[in-house]
Amino acid sequence: MTRLVLMLTAGVLLATSSQAETSRGFKKLLDAVVRIDVREFAYEAGSKRFQSGVGSGVIVSHDGLILTNAHVVGLRAVDINVTLANLERVSAELVGWDHWTDLALLRLDQDEIAKKGHKFAVARFGDSDGIAPGETVYAVGTPHGLTRTVTRGIISNPRRFFADSRGVKGYETGQFNTWLQTDAAINPGNSGGPLVTSDGRIVGINSRGYSGADNLGFAIPSSTARRVMAGLAQDGAIQRSYIGIVPGALRDLEDFYDLELNTGMLINSVDPGSPAAEAGIRGGDILLKINGSSVDGRFPEQLPPIKNRIAVSPVGASLTLSIKRGDNSTDFDVATEELVSRVGDESVVEIWGLSIREVSRPFARENQLPDDDGVLVIGVQRGFPAAVAGLSTGDVITKINDTPIASIEDVLAQAEIYEKSPDKVLLEARRKFRVSLYVLKP
Amino acid sequence: MKHSSAKYSPTLAAICGFVNAVAAAPVADLLEERLSSVVVVEFAIEHELDRTVNYTNGIVIDDDGTVILESSAISDRATPDQLVDFKIYRPGNPTTQYATADYVGQDGYTTWHFVKVRPEGRNGLRPITDFAAADPAAVPAMGEHLWGIGLRQKDEEFAPYFLSSQVSLIQRLPQLTGIALSSIAGRGCPIFNEAGEFIGVGASGFGQRMMIYSQRRRGEMSVLINPDEAAGFRLAAEVYPAIGRIPDNPYGRPLPWFGIDGLDPVGPEVAEFLGLGSTTGLVISELLSGSPAEQGGLLPRDIIIALDGVPFPRLKPDTVVAAHLMREVLKREPGGTMTLTVMRDRVELELPIELGEAPRTPKEADRNYFEELGITVRETVFSDVVARREDPSNLIGVIAHFIKPSSPAGTAGLRVDDWVKEIDGVGVETYEQALELFAEAEASGRPEVVMLVSRGGKTSVMRVKVDS
Repeated sequence: MTRLVLMLTAGVLLATSSQAETSRGFKKLLDAVVRIDVREFAYEAGSKRFQSGVGSGVIVSHDGLILTNAHVVGLRAVDINVTLANLERVSAELVGWDHWTDLALLRLDQDEIAKKGHKFAVARFGDSDGIAPGETVYAVGTPHGLTRTVTRGIISNPRRFFADSRGVKGYETGQFNTWLQTDAAINPGNSGGPLVTSDGRIVGINSRGYSGADNLGFAIPSSTARRVMAGLAQDGAIQRSYIGIVPGALRDLEDFYDLELNTGMLINSVDPGSPAAEAGIRGGDILLKINGSSVDGRFPEQLPPIKNRIAVSPVGASLTLSIKRGDNSTDFDVATEELVSRVGDESVVEIWGLSIREVSRPFARENQLPDDDGVLVIGVQRGFPAAVAGLSTGDVITKINDTPIASIEDVLAQAEIYEKSPDKVLLEARRKFRVSLYVLKP
Repeated sequence: MKHSSAKYSPTLAAICGFVNAVAAAPVADLLEERLSSVVVVEFAIEHELDRTVNYTNGIVIDDDGTVILESSAISDRATPDQLVDFKIYRPGNPTTQYATADYVGQDGYTTWHFVKVRPEGRNGLRPITDFAAADPAAVPAMGEHLWGIGLRQKDEEFAPYFLSSQVSLIQRLPQLTGIALSSIAGRGCPIFNEAGEFIGVGASGFGQRMMIYSQRRRGEMSVLINPDEAAGFRLAAEVYPAIGRIPDNPYGRPLPWFGIDGLDPVGPEVAEFLGLGSTTGLVISELLSGSPAEQGGLLPRDIIIALDGVPFPRLKPDTVVAAHLMREVLKREPGGTMTLTVMRDRVELELPIELGEAPRTPKEADRNYFEELGITVRETVFSDVVARREDPSNLIGVIAHFIKPSSPAGTAGLRVDDWVKEIDGVGVETYEQALELFAEAEASGRPEVVMLVSRGGKTSVMRVKVDS
């Protein structure tokens, strides 16, 4: 008897604090959330290996587009299986991928849907830009494989900034968007599921939480997600521009740089060899304007939108940056180049037990390599020729049998020759700044 | 500068008879007599905030009170100016009795440090050459019984004690090095054969790999090193050259230099592939801008296979070959020529290189401590810029050499080895300019100093808030 009363009380309290469980929109939303099972391969330790994972997603169009995280479904996904709210399973394919915002777009197999007559709901977007701290939100997803789990919390901070240089399977993320922070429980498997208001509208895509912390979860704002989704649906990828400036928050440096309050952004450093460096911009410069419109980068939260302003300009466009250096202000014209990830294409030479990755421009810059030629070793298999010769992860292969190596294809071509008639191969590689020679033996 | 055997041979001849005469003496008597060549050297290193006192063993090499110390006896980061209060203790004597000494310098080739005992304290010291073997270059045989001197700590008045063992292995690393079955002498202390002839100097613990078995963590591989006693020793042949190479300046200049960064020995498989037979080669990673090697026409990725027509011996482990070449360079004088045979695209070339004088080293760089900011900055030298992968012909900025913890500089996030390129918005071209800018900033009473700092190839703006 007592127990019943208590439960009843609890029910009343819930009903007054929020209407989610009774809202039609929320019920509909629940029917749009899916579980995603993925099997994908990786070029690890000198061989091609398969691994599988579970995440969440949300259906956002009547033709079966599903929004999820880039770290749930990657470019190497082989099987993508979606479990609908009615527990039916449908296969899906990857439509687009953007690690910079940790978003991926899938599409349900339309033929399969039509043939089996599956039904699903389509979720609707809310306004993430207008959401306030303290507002109640719900996370829906598959934490630890527990399908259709709803957790509840509030918006803890609507504009959290953090960039993670290896956040999505080793790829960079978070530079061009802020995050919604929530205390709704976000656990592994929640990734890709929606964060919604009590009327069931998507304000974010749940993405990550601090492990070991209590209720510090983060979601990509729906305003970002919608924009990226449109690009991915159309082109499969988002092209962004890069000029190579690394911003720093100005905070209270206005006095030092003799600036008016709320103007300018500190350029903390400039990537060597980047368009900005070529144009003559240096660390310590103050960016006042981009193409005539002013910039305010006092606080870290203000930096992603500024970076995004540069990113969304067309590749190859010329940007006029107004720079203050000392007492002088000068305009610099900088031609943008395409933003690429530090992580290049990957492959494997199984006969040598060698996993390799293209050396990208950012990787070459970060590691102060003379150029982006060469191929990076990302794994070797014990007992195989590469490992026996002494090659190890981090080496950059620059030459095989007197043939300079500029790309993965060059390595694969040499491996093919070897495969036809296995013989000793002389390989030149760079470890840090030291050049060494190795002999691979059949 | 160079060692000449003629210099000590006459003395040697006179001594040989002496050694034979006492060959039958009990080992305790031999040890007692040979203690006159062994001293304990105490010295202090003065840092910005404190001073550390160090003890090391030394060997007397001549009648002028010259004592040699192993290269690791003095920290590489300490400059000669920081080395003060040298005291010389005699093993087993009360520690209230000591002589004073002065730091002379380090020789680039032999790597010994030299200390000179002041004249009033030289009484009773005998050079180790007094106990030289008939053939000073003789190499002890495998299994030969040798004994050496160990010294206790200061609280036991550096009491001497006896150690003995047998020769297990002789290697060129590239210095002639012996390894004994067990501890054979204190580090820096002499080793003798049964006749009492000087054979070598205790160098280091021979890094034996050991497994630790405990109830908590099983089978963890460790390398155990005895810091006081050595099983590895340098042969006497590595000591005698020191006698002719007492530097006349603390840095051991003139220092020959050819300017190659990263010499990687080729492994046996690669040597065989390249047809090097029983010899080996060294791959050049990079040539330093403006260096003699660059001017001599060497290119990155050339494989050096011979020096003055002599192919490199297959020293083991492979890494020793690079040290061997560096030693061969350091043995020479700036201005001298050496001919390198290199393999380039599988073709052999002979390239004569005229050795230059080494650029200023970090040790020689001027430095200054700014108390209020809590930072010591020093002049940027060639190797600093090379290590930071920039053009070493442009020695701009200053290097942070010391950061006082919790000081304004420390709190601002500056770290040792940061490269300060701008101070308060002014580009630092020279060390002198940096001193002026810092002094001006300290005197100005401004609440902060803003620096543009380069670390790991990236620059960032650091704000040092000055205590008001």
